[in-house]
Amino acid sequence: MAEVGSVYIEGAALEFSWADPRRNLMELIYDTVSKAVEDAGQGYDGIDSVVLAAHDLVDGRSLSSMVTAPAAGAYLRDEVRYSDDGAGAFAAAVARIEAGESERTIVAAWGRASEHDVEELSRQLFDRIFLAPLGLQETHICAVNAQKWRINGGDTSSVEAAQKRRAVAAKANPRALQSGGWRSTPAYPLESDHLPLWADAVAAVVISGKPSSVRVKGLGLSSEPYWPGDRGLATAPALQRASERALAEAGMTAHEIDLFELDGMTLYDEAIALEAVGYAAKGQGMRVLAEDQRCNPSGGSAAGYSVPAMGLARIVEATLQLRATAGAVQVGKPRTAMASGLSVTAAQTQTVIILEAQ
Amino acid sequence: MSVAIIGVGQTGYRRSFPDKSSRELIWEAARLALEDADLDIDAIDMVISGVAPDALAGEASVERTAMLGFGKPFLRINTGGVTGSSTVFAGNTFIRAKRARAVLVVGLERMGQATSSQQVFNTIFDPVYEKDFPLTTITMAALRASMLMRLYGYTAMHWAKIAARSYQNALKNPLAHLHVDITPEDVLNSPLLAWPIHRYEACPMSEGACAMVLVNDQMVGDRTPAWIQGAASITDSYAMGDRIHRPGATLVDLLSLKLAAQRAYAQAGVDKPRDQVRAIELYSAFSSAEAMAYPALGMCEASDGPRFVEDQFTDPKIPVFNPSGGPQGANPVSVTAMVRIAEAALQVRDMAGERQVADVDRAVATGQGGATQFSTVCVLGKRPAP
Repeated sequence: MAEVGSVYIEGAALEFSWADPRRNLMELIYDTVSKAVEDAGQGYDGIDSVVLAAHDLVDGRSLSSMVTAPAAGAYLRDEVRYSDDGAGAFAAAVARIEAGESERTIVAAWGRASEHDVEELSRQLFDRIFLAPLGLQETHICAVNAQKWRINGGDTSSVEAAQKRRAVAAKANPRALQSGGWRSTPAYPLESDHLPLWADAVAAVVISGKPSSVRVKGLGLSSEPYWPGDRGLATAPALQRASERALAEAGMTAHEIDLFELDGMTLYDEAIALEAVGYAAKGQGMRVLAEDQRCNPSGGSAAGYSVPAMGLARIVEATLQLRATAGAVQVGKPRTAMASGLSVTAAQTQTVIILEAQ
Repeated sequence: MSVAIIGVGQTGYRRSFPDKSSRELIWEAARLALEDADLDIDAIDMVISGVAPDALAGEASVERTAMLGFGKPFLRINTGGVTGSSTVFAGNTFIRAKRARAVLVVGLERMGQATSSQQVFNTIFDPVYEKDFPLTTITMAALRASMLMRLYGYTAMHWAKIAARSYQNALKNPLAHLHVDITPEDVLNSPLLAWPIHRYEACPMSEGACAMVLVNDQMVGDRTPAWIQGAASITDSYAMGDRIHRPGATLVDLLSLKLAAQRAYAQAGVDKPRDQVRAIELYSAFSSAEAMAYPALGMCEASDGPRFVEDQFTDPKIPVFNPSGGPQGANPVSVTAMVRIAEAALQVRDMAGERQVADVDRAVATGQGGATQFSTVCVLGKRPAP
């Protein structure tokens, strides 16, 4: 049984692709999970647990974990599938080790945007009577958040610079999607480049209670009401609470964090996230995103996006940064990093993970 | 750290609830569980929800519309037929990890909104090799039942007796979906769905919600607990053909359930399950599924299964199977495995009403999902695990 704060990331892998005609979903999963297990250097024998984040409606078949779980190493192991974001599944996997239920766990998350209608799926998330007739998608809620942020006095002078920095990072990131993918039609005030680049994504890590190069220093989860009108628009209160819990567990403040990989569907969401976690002052998230290389060095949602994998993708990017193996997007030698993941509907739930280099 | 169930809430189960929204069902089950636990939602540290195939409900991520306790950590699980037990196990994990003192777990099934559940279930099978058979959960179970008959000598009457016993038990359970006085002969005279399975051997399509409150040992106080003594889950291979010829375990040996039982029993200190367990709530959607569970749970050798069925009606020392009526009485798919644990908890807490089995010191609940690919075993007792 590992105490809180005694769980480590031993291996990590992330791959973005687009409509790869040579590999089916199971092969995509197997390839990335195998890379994470190889990266951990312990083989499959010591792994006794598998925690997944995936969704039937994204995978395109009912109870899709029947066919996908074995590809992630679940055969005759204790396996559970969260239909939730990968960072939430990561938190659950950490709890398994802390509870003494597992010695070593694979956490994997994926989504294949090339094989499902992301916009139709997004519309299905909204209440069938009051919201669905409006044709709402999650990116429309992002646009409402962005507009509210501007109305609240958010500093818009850095929007172009922030987007440019994001695009440069995404182009340099060796794990980012470099060809293929697509973006939805933007709703005001969002512009096309602000939107997530739909991609096929698989992320995987191997964690255990044995000391390794990256330690889980804190985690927190939180939620918001379902109805958009009941939400704290432009302030991401669930993310704020989740980060407060994670920081308290880590015994840190946001300004003591060396690097951020925060999940946001759009450019504005990433800026709002920096404010919610307490790193950027209110209304200054966009400026910080434009100027501070330590904020989403991966390129964020411009590097590729597919639910429900993105929280775990952010954790992988943060892990690589802490190990100084992030490649062209490496930012110095950070000692601590914060990663976050959001889930439906339109960021109703949030998970924050704080990692520390050993 | 020991974890106990101190609150159980069930809406009761029926073919559909046209007068209730999904969130009303979830809230109703949660309210009942919190009242049973004598706790307010403010005392809950985390909410974990379980809803399996969204396609059955025709609503995507429906649990999000019914979120309880805004601001609390919230996660959602989908592991098919074992969704309910996986959800309880996740709550158990977060408490044992000391990340929560009290967790509300809640499950919902709305399959009454599905035009045909079997069309949905057909999509769980391989789209190239299996889907066009047409393979469904019924034909899948029929393949197993015929294999059990050939290997171990089960007869149609064995399946009928198991089903009739469950229906008789369901008559004592006011929450059950079906309350029908059915004999083994009635089962055999019911329409054939897929040989050898008759209609009354199959579970119904049911809707409903179930919720439970799990707490750590310090929060139990003077409440009546059902302690989680053991909890284990195992995943098998996807292709059923891969489970036929492997050494040591055929398709009907339920290797995943056997391994899960071994782990859960070890945690609970159970080494003679037939003597140490008094009530067993099985996720057995068909009579043959129950027969497959007997050897996996250590009740008898596989070859003695037919006799074990007969002995249940004459030997009072044998554990009571599905006193609630089991899935024959109600099968709200994504909730059924949670209902098994809830009913086992009620038995251990001596709160099962007319369906109460005498002297239940320890009870076992199983979960089974994904064409028997996923298995869970939960051991509950009047005391924490030794």
